[in-house]
Amino acid sequence: MESCCNVLSPHEQRIQEEQLGKKNFEGRERVFQILTSFQDLRPKIDVERAKYFTQSFRETEGQPLVLRWAKALKYTAENITVYIDDHQLLVGRAGYQGRYGILFPELDGDFLDVAIEQLPNRVESPFDVTPEDAQVIINEIAPYWKGKTFHENLAMALPEDTFKLTYDPENPLNSRFLVNETATFRSSIQWVHDYEKVLKRGFKGIKEEAQQKLEALDPMSPVDNMEKKPFLEAVIITCDAIVLWAKRHAKLAAELANKESDAQRKQELQDIAERCAWVPENPARDFREAVQSQWFTQMFSRIEQKTGTIISNGRMDQYFYPYYKKDLEEGRINEDQATELLECMWVAMAQFIDLYLSPTGGAFNEGYAHWEAVTVGGQTPDGLDATNDLTYIFLKSKQEFPLNYPDLAARIHSRAPERYLYEVAETIKEGTGFPKLINDEEVVSLLLSKGACFEEAYDYAVSGCAECRMPNRDTYTSGNPYVNFAAAVELTLYNGKMLKFGDEVVGLQTGDPTNFKTWDEFWNAYVAQQTNFLKHAFIQQHIIINMRPKHFATPLGSLMHDLCMETCKDLHTPAIEGGIDLGYFELMGYGTVVDSLAVIKKLVFEDKKLTMAELVAAMKSNFEGYEAIREMLLNAPKYGNNDSYSDVIAKDVDREALKFTKKYSKELGVHLDLRLVPFTSHVPFGKVVSATPNGRKAWAPLSDGSSASHGADVNGPTAVLMSNFNSKNYNFRNRAARLLNIKLSPTCVAGEEGSAKLVSFIRTWCDLKLWHLQFNIVNKETLLAAKKDPSKYRGLIVRVAGYSAYFVELSSDLQDDIIARTEHSAI
Amino acid sequence: MGETFLFDKKRYGYVFNIQHYSVHDGPGIRTIVFLKGCPLRCQWCSNPESQLQNPELGYNPSKCIGISKCLRCAEACIYGAVKQDLEENDKILIDRQLCKECLLCTEACPSKALEVFGKQTSIDDIIQAVEKDSAFYARSGGGLTFSGGEPLMQADFITEVLKVARRRRINTTIETCGYAEWPKFAKVCQHLNSLIMDIKCMDTEKHKKFTNASNELIIENFKKLCEEFPNLPILVRTPVIPGFNDSEEDIRAIIHFIKGRSNVRYELLPYHRLGQQKYNYLGKHYPLDGMRLNDETFNRLKEIANSLE
Ligand code: SF4
Ligand code: SF4
Repeated sequence: MESCCNVLSPHEQRIQEEQLGKKNFEGRERVFQILTSFQDLRPKIDVERAKYFTQSFRETEGQPLVLRWAKALKYTAENITVYIDDHQLLVGRAGYQGRYGILFPELDGDFLDVAIEQLPNRVESPFDVTPEDAQVIINEIAPYWKGKTFHENLAMALPEDTFKLTYDPENPLNSRFLVNETATFRSSIQWVHDYEKVLKRGFKGIKEEAQQKLEALDPMSPVDNMEKKPFLEAVIITCDAIVLWAKRHAKLAAELANKESDAQRKQELQDIAERCAWVPENPARDFREAVQSQWFTQMFSRIEQKTGTIISNGRMDQYFYPYYKKDLEEGRINEDQATELLECMWVAMAQFIDLYLSPTGGAFNEGYAHWEAVTVGGQTPDGLDATNDLTYIFLKSKQEFPLNYPDLAARIHSRAPERYLYEVAETIKEGTGFPKLINDEEVVSLLLSKGACFEEAYDYAVSGCAECRMPNRDTYTSGNPYVNFAAAVELTLYNGKMLKFGDEVVGLQTGDPTNFKTWDEFWNAYVAQQTNFLKHAFIQQHIIINMRPKHFATPLGSLMHDLCMETCKDLHTPAIEGGIDLGYFELMGYGTVVDSLAVIKKLVFEDKKLTMAELVAAMKSNFEGYEAIREMLLNAPKYGNNDSYSDVIAKDVDREALKFTKKYSKELGVHLDLRLVPFTSHVPFGKVVSATPNGRKAWAPLSDGSSASHGADVNGPTAVLMSNFNSKNYNFRNRAARLLNIKLSPTCVAGEEGSAKLVSFIRTWCDLKLWHLQFNIVNKETLLAAKKDPSKYRGLIVRVAGYSAYFVELSSDLQDDIIARTEHSAI
Repeated sequence: MGETFLFDKKRYGYVFNIQHYSVHDGPGIRTIVFLKGCPLRCQWCSNPESQLQNPELGYNPSKCIGISKCLRCAEACIYGAVKQDLEENDKILIDRQLCKECLLCTEACPSKALEVFGKQTSIDDIIQAVEKDSAFYARSGGGLTFSGGEPLMQADFITEVLKVARRRRINTTIETCGYAEWPKFAKVCQHLNSLIMDIKCMDTEKHKKFTNASNELIIENFKKLCEEFPNLPILVRTPVIPGFNDSEEDIRAIIHFIKGRSNVRYELLPYHRLGQQKYNYLGKHYPLDGMRLNDETFNRLKEIANSLE
């Protein structure tokens, strides 16, 4: 469980499910019944969404895209199968019962037929598909989309030299993992809606607003006629679509209630029928309606488009709270009932699997990844602490029912109450990696610096993995470039070439490094390679920003956005007036790059323990026959140890990238900020980079996010935080999320004293204005894994009272001793 | 930082490790500075590299990449002390008879299989290393802990460090076995925020047998400590060692001796063998081979110990 953001492999998931099995069921019979009904099933592909979208699109050729999208949604809402699951209190799913994924042929329709045949045999995140459904995909859906998808058009539009850094020239379906685009395997990057608007006004209220606007249009104006009118019509159709979909559930629930013999379930079904007849059309009147209304909205949003890492849930403890409070006061609900309903949502979420068909998308999100971020805590729009009773219910649910859904994010600010931080700490101690922490002290000030006003900045919601959004002010939805900085190091060493690509000149020809006399010469050559990559990343993004609106529309996402409604523009339109476009580019392999540069600076140019020629020869042979040299490289200064030697280089690398984006983002009219959040992509990016000067072997994964190279952080967690702090350029506003994972042994946090120290650790992280933090409280399984594969766990500290040791340095029988003793509190 | 310190830069201490993020030895998140040199020779010692004050050569064979691939150490050694390991042919062996501890080989070794235990370290170095984590002390109430070895072996040196630390508002603690001349001990205590002291056994004969030193000085020192520093928070610790002090009588005797003082807390530490490997690195023999602490025994003793609270 060590990769970022709790991407659980199926195996790890099983471990977790076993843990769940041992937990006490009492009071949770309903959610466990639902959980056991699907947890052992392999996910299936449901084709309905793709089928009805395609059928509708065939009929609407030539019309404005936003209208086509709305019509497709309506057609789907009318025809898609509606389900009511046994035991469930919430209804609304986008496909088969059990675990399922749905298809978005507007993204990958052109190769859907091929992919579908391979899918059941895929090793990572396999899916099943019935033969009948496969036929529908191959004969009905795929043929329509050939020649129409975004990535086909993007591939054609890229200039040649940008293209060769983006795609494999032999097969443009495959990324080259150098300057990688992520805009073609999702319609939008992570996004979060203003769900509160739906709860308060209902789709009826939003529809009325659109109707009034429509009536007020200038009938003579070409813009009003050609842009605003179709947008507003699309809003109206979409509002009708989701209401229609909800009412079909109401009807089905009523039918089932009539047939139901069990009195309790009969009542539940009647209640469901009543609720679905009222929401999301109308404003929610109580907590149960609010939850159902939100669920319909997010599920319909999932049907509408593929948002990177699944649509986020926003500040749930804030927008549900008034309903909960009122119900509680009026005796309509108690804490247990509220918890049960929320957990009904978690098990419903767990059945929708984010399916990536493209090889690149799959590599980015291994192991059924999902980040449907539920945000808790933080500050209110007027800057006060925002925690409330619901905040604690969310945390308690995560402790007692440690499912890996939803992805829980806790906002932390400098005045966060002790009670909140202790509950967060107790939840972290459960060892599932939740919640991840996001720092208001970094995020709010950055949002302000980018033009937000206080109440928007204080009210941000976590979106996706580590990003933050202001749902009515953010307007950037384009997928972003991932840039392989480690490859830039390789290009510097081989004068513009890479071992993987033979004689092809991939980068700039910055000269033969064995002729370099000084570190500065090398550094300048490296910066030139890095900057050249960024140049192409930004060219790529320029094309993407302008081309996407021809391919994607999101009437549902737009109707929930103040600015879209104001300007009558689809959210995917570039540069919506009044919006703040927060995008990013990803620096891949930060630790790998910094450690490699530190080796060259220190061993080659300063200490002269090694010549450049020796270094290059060692790398070319992947260190075979150069084992002693590799050891020298591995023992050079490493980022992540609060060692100023490497931290200074880290800061320089960061600054060079920031300088570029500071200068050229303006031209693009967006904020393309520097981000360090790799998902699982540091693995495929590593597969194109040969041996690096930090001692990393060819094709091995790059370092991930802002973390140290694997196992290189041997000075403990405070050093990891400090290196992160030391390497950030706080004078640049062009920075975005940095993902940070910390591993601790359970004994470091054991007992009340352990909680207190964990809380103070979190407070210091908050003081340091680091963006993100996530803990792995490592357990026995991890120790076993560490024993088997020590190189990945070199930084793991185990405590035995009064003495501590690096676990992997202990002899085998001592390791066994400790593994045996982890179940006691003595370590 | 950045400021020049107003103390004698020539003064060095012998340090063998500085460890950050210590959460079990004193309040808050702390940095432990391990000093080299100890007057006792506890048979269970988990830091054998701490016993002698001077730097020592350590050899960790699991890190050696092999004679066939390297052998840089043999080239560096002018005394012929690097030999082939006859049991494991590709590894080296240090002939401790021939080795002069000149440490040249440690500079040549690329993998840190050969390493120096212990380094002369200045006050400045220590303060700088400790202050690297000052952001964490501010929130957690942590700071600097001197451990060892026995920090009081270098009492003059640490007094100077502690003074600087206190001036710089760093919380200070030492972990001591209590075996030192009282005036030195007392001088150090003046600069402490709290103290951790081992009391291993009240039986003088047994103490001698297992630690190579009598406990009389330790017991005397503890009494003086309580008299002269009645407000200094003290944590007494007993490492529970099978065959030495893992009986109820032993623990009760210690409790009887220390009880009745509001500034004194008590804690038992279970025996562990984590240091065993390091004996091999130093070419030494681990005296307690094969010993195990019974969990049940330890838990029972812990209950007795908790009765002091
Ligand atoms: S310390 Fe000196 S004498 Fe001993 S093995 Fe190393 S080089 Fe040879
Ligand atoms: S120099 Fe180090 S790695 Fe090389 S043979 Fe000697 S001990 Fe082994």
